[in-house]
Amino acid sequence: MYGNAYIDPNDKAAQMIAGEDPQKLAEFEARIAKGEKIEPKDWMPKEYRKQLVRMIEQHAHSEIIGALPEGTWITRAPGFKRKLALMAKVQDEVGHAQLLYSAAETLGKSREAMINDLITGKSKYSNVFNYPAFTWADACIIAWLIDAGAIINQVANAKGSYGPYCRALDRICTEESFHLKYGHDNVVTLATGTPKQREMVQAALTRWWPPIMHFFGPSDKISNHTEILMRWKVKMASNDDMRQQFLNMYVPKIWDLGLTLPDPNLKKNAEGKWEYTEPDWDEFKRVVNGDGPCNAERLAVRRNAEERGRWVREALNTTESKYIVPLA
Amino acid sequence: MNTQAIKELLYKMADDLLIIGHRNSEWTGLGPILEEDISFSSMAQDKIGQSQAIFQLLNDLGEQEPDTVAFMRGAAQFHNARFLELPNGEYDFSLVRHFLFDHADQLRFEALANSSYEPLAKVAKKVKGELKYHVFHANTWLVKLGQANENSHNRMQAALNQAWNYALGMFEESAHEDALITEGIFEGELALRDKWLATITPIILKAGLQIPASNEWQPIYGGRICQHTEHLSPLVEEMSEVFRYDPTAEW
Amino acid sequence: MIKSLDPRITRAEIDLENPIDPLKELDQWETYEVFHQKRRGDQHMHVGIVHAPNAEMAFIFAKEQYGRRGLSVNIWVVKTRDVYSSEYDDSDIFETVPEKQYREAGGYKVMEKINKYKKGV
Ligand SMILES: [Fe+2]
Ligand SMILES: [Fe+2]
Repeated sequence: MYGNAYIDPNDKAAQMIAGEDPQKLAEFEARIAKGEKIEPKDWMPKEYRKQLVRMIEQHAHSEIIGALPEGTWITRAPGFKRKLALMAKVQDEVGHAQLLYSAAETLGKSREAMINDLITGKSKYSNVFNYPAFTWADACIIAWLIDAGAIINQVANAKGSYGPYCRALDRICTEESFHLKYGHDNVVTLATGTPKQREMVQAALTRWWPPIMHFFGPSDKISNHTEILMRWKVKMASNDDMRQQFLNMYVPKIWDLGLTLPDPNLKKNAEGKWEYTEPDWDEFKRVVNGDGPCNAERLAVRRNAEERGRWVREALNTTESKYIVPLA
Repeated sequence: MNTQAIKELLYKMADDLLIIGHRNSEWTGLGPILEEDISFSSMAQDKIGQSQAIFQLLNDLGEQEPDTVAFMRGAAQFHNARFLELPNGEYDFSLVRHFLFDHADQLRFEALANSSYEPLAKVAKKVKGELKYHVFHANTWLVKLGQANENSHNRMQAALNQAWNYALGMFEESAHEDALITEGIFEGELALRDKWLATITPIILKAGLQIPASNEWQPIYGGRICQHTEHLSPLVEEMSEVFRYDPTAEW
Repeated sequence: MIKSLDPRITRAEIDLENPIDPLKELDQWETYEVFHQKRRGDQHMHVGIVHAPNAEMAFIFAKEQYGRRGLSVNIWVVKTRDVYSSEYDDSDIFETVPEKQYREAGGYKVMEKINKYKKGV
């Protein structure tokens, strides 16, 4: 799901293109301006490569870590239909990680290096997955609203300039439409069900609203730096624009179900823009930096999975294997 | 048709598939490499889907809804072989169990494709392709890891030793064995066990592994008569947890 | 040991403090390019890669990663290192002069001659 990696705001625009061959840079930018895609072996500015690796890698990490909160309910999903769908959904997320790591690999960073950066905490993943799925309804809210947020991000990024990332996202978006429908169906079932079910889904929604508001990240500082990334079609929409789009599409659907959101200031103003209480960005930073309710567990579980699988991978490693960067 | 005999056959098959499907699904997101995680999850989904199809046959014979039967019974009402409820352990044990169970499962369905009980024969024909993949997956892994390096060989051999008597327990005979055989519903557990041994032996040898000596074979029975290890009950409780939260609700 | 909300995790008995050695080079094996054919009669299409230790397992993985939904009848897997690929920098080698009508159907126009002949008869 969840491609909301954010770009380091401290990078200076001038540094971004320092030392690049002006002729090649001009050709590169002209190609993107024409709407053509950049392919792995093309010349590209170092900063373009760096930002893309960071973004795609974080996106991949988010998929594999995102499999954990939802996986929490696999053995407990109620009934065949829900169980099979949840298994398929979590499987898709693992598949998305595979597709995204593969896309990032084409830029020259190996999957091993990316996993190492994940499990040591050097590389981030979407902050929402540091929160727990307490009840079945939490898993349903995640499947609907977190995936909805992810889709907004992914649909935007699918129009970006880097061919392998766009191709991965096209396929991912197709699968996400199943996730969204599945999540919505679940939430509707709970919201239109018994009083206990309604209470359960309302509680989950209330719990998840702050992380959902955090999902797209803080307002971007408009700088030359972000302008260049937008010109290069690395960043496709501002965080605030995506948040607005999300609110516009989903708040009415939530209210339709008679559910309430824990923000008294949430409303659409006369200009059609959504107003809301500013999310707690200190909490966001605190959790990003490791101090959320589940950060430690998520990474410990990933490390454990890598370690338990190591003997399998080592056994089948043959001496004549040779790593070559994937082609596309 | 001997409905009682058919029901018992269906229950053990459905429960086997339901429980192994759940166990295998515990690897989702935690597998040894992303690609294998995806493959293993697909097969777990297939198992649970096959189980659903068989619970549907039971429903057609007058038992309760598949969801109710599958998710709302206590451990003491399950007919699965004990083998399948054991915790996953490490990937070696999970793969060996997958290998041993899926061969039995494939042969069982193969035989049932000719069953005189047509609804079951129909299901058996439908799942043929899925099982072919499962067995190909299992064989490939077993043969590769059985001889890849010393560590993997030792692990796979130890897992096979640990699994063996439990696996033999899959072929626990039912009180209705004769009825099933004479009415052409199912060839019977002993016939199935012979076929299974004949099928898996060459593959195990090809993997450089050894089947425990036959004088040490002591099938671990009990599952078919609802006697289980302590591992089943927590899983079964998890399976019904959400339903129990509000039994009047539709989920 | 982690006491997780996820019973699967609790059962796996995981230490919260569990530093591990970094994954080594080739830990994730090498890659295979995957070509997928939807129906008989279609071309195989390149759909992506899988990491795998050998060709059979590459197929096993590709079948589920790229063929678990929709139609499939066949899959090829090829080691990435065995694929010879041209360079995008050299993509001008595909450019050619337009004066090659002799190998296009549109380069052959006979009606004029036929009409002229018919008029003359
Ligand atoms: Fe995803
Ligand atoms: Fe998703």
